Amino acid sequence: MDKQLELLQGTLDMLILKAISLGPLHGYGILLRIQQISKDQLEIQQGSLYPALYRLEDQGWIGSEWGESDNKRKAKYYHLTVAGKRRLQTEADKWNRMAEVIEGILRARPEEV
Amino acid sequence: MRTWKRIRAWLSALLNRSHMESQMESELRFHLEARVEDLVRSGTERAGARRQAQMEFGGFERTKEECRDARGVNFVEGLLQDLRYGLRVLGKSPGFAAIAVVTLALGIGANTAIFSVVDAMLLRPLPFPEPTRLVRLWECQPNRGYFRNVVNPRNFLDWRDDTNSFEAMAALAGGMTNLVAHGQPIAVPGVRVSPEFFSILGVRPVLGRAFSAGEGVAGHDRVVVLSYELWQRQFGLDTGIVGKQVNLEGLPYTVVGVMPRGFSFPKTKAELWTPLPLARTKDWEDGRYLSVVARMKPAVTLEQSRQDMRRAAEINAKARPDFDEGWSAEVEPMLEDATKDVRRPLWVLLASVGFLLLIACANVANLLLMRGAGRMREMAVRSALGAGRGRIVRQLLIESLLLSFAGMAAGLIFAAIGLRSLLTLIPQSAPLPRGEPIAIDARVLLFTFTASLLTAALFGVVPAVRLSRTDLQNALKQGLLQGGVGGHQILRRCFVVAEVALALLLSVGAGLMLRSFARLVAVDPGFDPEHVVTMQISLAPSKYEDNLKRSQYIEHILSEVRNVPGVRAAASIHFLPLTEKTSGSCFEPAGGPSPTAQSPVSEFLIVSPGYFEAMGIPMMKGRDFEERDNFNAQPVAIVNHAFVEHYFPGQDVLGKQLQVCWTFEKPVEIVGVVADARQGELQTPPTDTIFLANSQAPMYFASLVVRAKGDPRQIALGAEDAVHRVDPEQAVSDIRTMRSVFSDSVSSPRFQAVLLLVFAGLAVALAVIGVYGVVSYTVSERTNEIGIRLAMGARARDIARLVLREALTLAILALAIGLAASLALSRVLETLLFEVRPTDPGTLGLVCGVILAVSVLAAVLPARRATGVDPMAALRYE
Repeated sequence: MDKQLELLQGTLDMLILKAISLGPLHGYGILLRIQQISKDQLEIQQGSLYPALYRLEDQGWIGSEWGESDNKRKAKYYHLTVAGKRRLQTEADKWNRMAEVIEGILRARPEEV
Repeated sequence: MRTWKRIRAWLSALLNRSHMESQMESELRFHLEARVEDLVRSGTERAGARRQAQMEFGGFERTKEECRDARGVNFVEGLLQDLRYGLRVLGKSPGFAAIAVVTLALGIGANTAIFSVVDAMLLRPLPFPEPTRLVRLWECQPNRGYFRNVVNPRNFLDWRDDTNSFEAMAALAGGMTNLVAHGQPIAVPGVRVSPEFFSILGVRPVLGRAFSAGEGVAGHDRVVVLSYELWQRQFGLDTGIVGKQVNLEGLPYTVVGVMPRGFSFPKTKAELWTPLPLARTKDWEDGRYLSVVARMKPAVTLEQSRQDMRRAAEINAKARPDFDEGWSAEVEPMLEDATKDVRRPLWVLLASVGFLLLIACANVANLLLMRGAGRMREMAVRSALGAGRGRIVRQLLIESLLLSFAGMAAGLIFAAIGLRSLLTLIPQSAPLPRGEPIAIDARVLLFTFTASLLTAALFGVVPAVRLSRTDLQNALKQGLLQGGVGGHQILRRCFVVAEVALALLLSVGAGLMLRSFARLVAVDPGFDPEHVVTMQISLAPSKYEDNLKRSQYIEHILSEVRNVPGVRAAASIHFLPLTEKTSGSCFEPAGGPSPTAQSPVSEFLIVSPGYFEAMGIPMMKGRDFEERDNFNAQPVAIVNHAFVEHYFPGQDVLGKQLQVCWTFEKPVEIVGVVADARQGELQTPPTDTIFLANSQAPMYFASLVVRAKGDPRQIALGAEDAVHRVDPEQAVSDIRTMRSVFSDSVSSPRFQAVLLLVFAGLAVALAVIGVYGVVSYTVSERTNEIGIRLAMGARARDIARLVLREALTLAILALAIGLAASLALSRVLETLLFEVRPTDPGTLGLVCGVILAVSVLAAVLPARRATGVDPMAALRYE
């Protein structure tokens, strides 16, 4: 397995929003889903997930309620709010534009400059 | 929206703190356990799985802390923590806390008490709808220096026709009214008013109605509106009172209404109102005696109304030059008019307590700095453990807030006590300009709260910022006292200098007021106030309309009073001296043109025979009024010394004749000259006065002056009974000794002097504590050095000088600043002082001496301690 990539600053929030946009999840589930989608290529400090969740909830982009997990245990499930959906959209757009710009810069050949 | 949500989050964080904590705990636990399960499932042995899960997760407690931060409630929790910690810290040094709280309480309490007076008198709008449109109208004669003169009835009626700036105007004529209730005559302050009076003020009766326009016409005016207080006291809140008749001035009046509780017109005592039936008849042609209130039309400005009034006054002056030439009219906003005399004294008092609070702040700031020196290590440890500077500042500020709020709580108690004793300094007979109650209410509490917050900021910020700047390295080292404290000591000296300078400023103010007051009460009024009792009677016009009957009535009363055992002399005067009442009128020497508005003006007083003897005013020439000066005889006058000096210097005035505007057609002959006495107030030197005989020019009211052989209070009752013997329906009011009239007449300068003296005393006490603190601190800081000096052979005297020099330097610096400030502010006090210049060198010198002396005294104790230093111990200490 390749060495995991360190998460870029500020992207964790976007990843969390994306992860639960696919369906409500508890904290551990979010971690698993991100790792699953990214095929384990991202290194996430697990503890740092929770302050991010609390912050997002405080800002009103996600909501939470207590429910039951697969193995019949009580767990806190997070879902996306309407504001959160919009937020995810703008974040994703911004990210895509940024990625394009950076990609363009990195592809530049000497004669094009 | 968001703010509201945040506040809700904070609140729920505070209220459900343990609930949220346990939820966070179980959420994080769930994560860990789920991870462990997954690892076990993938084949890791359980103990290893647990370790790995924990490692992957990172610091559990740190995560929780970060979560709390992320939730945005950590701020509140930290605040609570700081609060608890602050309480604990203060609880651990109760001595410091007590001194700080008491100091602040004195400052805050004094401010609260004075502010409650300032607010009730000056700041609060008058208790009428749209009060800024209410104005008072006066006549004025600017070239003679008469402003705010009462108004002539005919002029008032003309103004009403000639102006268009006002919705309505009403005239008031005050006086005592005889009310017979339950067979007892009582004197009630009554005011006769134009029917529009109540609607101009915009106040409706609680019971019945106000006057109708038709009741302002003579013959229809036997109606009365009662005050709530009179209704309560005399009629037991009888709700059936409207329509009933009461006996006023010997005539039946029908009660038409009762005003709400507390209704009052500024500067006018009134418990009942009757209509004033003004008309363009002979009765209402002469004299100036009406007060006038008006309501401006909504769009009219004060300046417009002034121009309007001046124009109306010009019309009058042209129409009646004899009476009105040289006279104009003035418009004054009602609130300013009412509070004119108290405004400056009250602002001076408020400024004084403001200074007092500043001194208290400087003192507490110094205490905090001094204590801070001992807490350097604590600060250093906290910041070493990761507390940011902001956090430390916040902690210290919260401690300041705690002190300040404790000071506020104690201060409110001081204020309540102080306010009560302060109000007792105001005599009943010299009421405040506004009738509204003075109390510590919501407005005052808001002021106090704001003042406390500001106070905390004032005394807390500098020490907090200073202390949080502690140099870690130095402070953690053992020799911490020297570490970083030097700067504080300079700061503390600055505070002390400021304190002493402010204390000096206050003491100069108090000293000047006190000296001025002493000068004032030392003034010889020209009469002898001892052994004299005075009382007021007011004659019912219905019974004594006839001039002869009126003069005989007063003579009859006086002779009855003279027969009371213990009475040496009894006489009457229409305006009692020192009650701020004067009456002026014009005159001309006989034989020339008739007097007009341009003629010389003199004070006129109507007295009975024996007045000068009863008051102890020496007769200088000629004779007193006598029985033969009756109604049909040649009108006679007595003039005072000032009058002779002014108009007939060096001449014999006896036998000279004067034409007076007062009441006579015939000239009056001067038959006597008396020595000068002060009339309106003690401050004003005697003015030219013409006395007329009561038997020839009787008034509808009189003050009886009764000289006793012994204690005047013992004959008061007998004299009152004598009056009732002459007319059982005659009410007697204001029974006071002349001594207390005298004392009440100086109540407002006394009030100012006493309060300023109290504040200055507190200020000096606080400043002394400040000097003491800073000097003792120097001594403890320099114990070492003193030890070395002593070891090297310095004598105790040298050491004492060293310490005292510091106090002296601080005091002299403060004196220079304080003196400069008091000279700069001298103009503020100028108008409040009597025969004392605000730069009076004697007072300034004395105050400087006192301040210097107490400052040095404050340093004596620390100096003694310094000389007692044991060199060996001091050196070992390091």
